[in-house]
Amino acid sequence: MTLQSQLEAYLTRIWETPARVTMIARIPGGASRETYRFDVEVGGETQGLILRRDPVGSLIDTERKLEFAAFRSFHGSGLPVPEGVALEEQGAELERPFFIMGRIDGGKAQSPFTVAPYGEHARAIGEQFYGHLGAIAAADPATLPIAQVADTPAPDACWKRELDYWEGVIDADEEHPQPIVRACIRRLRASPPPAARKLSVVHGDYRTGNFMHDGQGRIIALLDWEMAHIGDPLEDLGWAMEPLWCYGETDRVSGMLPREEAIAIWEAASGLTVDPAAFAWWELFASVKGQAIWTSSAKEFRAGGLKDPVLGLSGWYTARRQDVILADRLAALEALA
Amino acid sequence: MTPTVPELLLGNFVCLMDPPPPESSGDFLQSRIGVTGMISLLCAQEAERGIAARVWENGAIRDLLRRAAPTYGAAFAEAATGEDTDLSLAATDRANADLRRALIDLHIAVETARDAALDTEIRGLYVRMADARRLDLPPLPAG
Repeated sequence: MTLQSQLEAYLTRIWETPARVTMIARIPGGASRETYRFDVEVGGETQGLILRRDPVGSLIDTERKLEFAAFRSFHGSGLPVPEGVALEEQGAELERPFFIMGRIDGGKAQSPFTVAPYGEHARAIGEQFYGHLGAIAAADPATLPIAQVADTPAPDACWKRELDYWEGVIDADEEHPQPIVRACIRRLRASPPPAARKLSVVHGDYRTGNFMHDGQGRIIALLDWEMAHIGDPLEDLGWAMEPLWCYGETDRVSGMLPREEAIAIWEAASGLTVDPAAFAWWELFASVKGQAIWTSSAKEFRAGGLKDPVLGLSGWYTARRQDVILADRLAALEALA
Repeated sequence: MTPTVPELLLGNFVCLMDPPPPESSGDFLQSRIGVTGMISLLCAQEAERGIAARVWENGAIRDLLRRAAPTYGAAFAEAATGEDTDLSLAATDRANADLRRALIDLHIAVETARDAALDTEIRGLYVRMADARRLDLPPLPAG
């Protein structure tokens, strides 16, 4: 069966009416899941949808029910988040776990590896980008659907849970010794951050490239919630400002705004203030998390028979860039007392 | 480091030889071909600089281990024995893996001893190691 006929069989069954799928096409990016756009005709009406299906190999090992719950948590909240339509954890007619979400047309996602990705609209996009992230941080996760599927850590346990997880990923997937990231992990453990001032939904991969904009300075969709969880909102802010996501730029974070402006926008939208010492911890953590992801990519590239060049590039070129960032961050830390 | 240049180039070949299903042509296929091109370009850099980077890094780690051995133990001098006579990427990587493990052990010992001077030196070495392995992606215009 083709993917098109599998989708038609699935949608016809769950909607109990004949569904005809057309215009199905795989979308580049979204390396943690296979992502397809398609149209479905039901009862004479056509709807645009997105399919996110688990791949055979992936950069990251994530729970699709968390991503689906994140879409449900923020769709209709005033943030540009697509609607979650259907979730199948066992795969059903499509053989691998997947979910379907609404499609937002008319936009593009920019690669973080391009120069000045937002051109003349960088400031306008930056204001929305950090404003939207602040709004996510401001939401009370206990009132949202994601609380039904995500663990809620104690505020003083957020950092340890994340660091334990990502160090475990490196332990499991490392195929060549990495002294730089190991030294950073030891530094993080030696100087833990203060407890989270507030528990928030953490998008987990909020960065340049993981949203769509309309080319005129407006963000129209916040995407790629596959690493969503509940934790310290500074985690997302640190990941968004990770230098990896602003190619060749030193005076603007995310290729959008000066760092202090971005923080001020986030603070205004979230109602929170950024503790510099705590944020320094989360910024170093972001670089460690990145290296863990690239370490997994390298392993998956090999395990998958070398067939996915995105995994190969991530596990090699991106890992090297991440090492440069980690080494610079580590060198800038205070000397041992 | 992983993956290796032969693996990456073999991966490019496999990726381009595999006929994609109909729904994976178009933009997706175009993007894939672009990534294979980037990998080929960066593999050329690795072929040109990779051996020199590894030989330099291995030498720098051996030197550090030897100098630290009187204070931190003869095992570090033992780990620093040998030299890079087989100048292939694979052989220098094998030696590098052993040296990096010893460097990690040394750094832990240095941190435990609160040896600020050697800790700072090791962190400086990390900067130079990362820089020596750096791959330079040419500026890509925004689409």
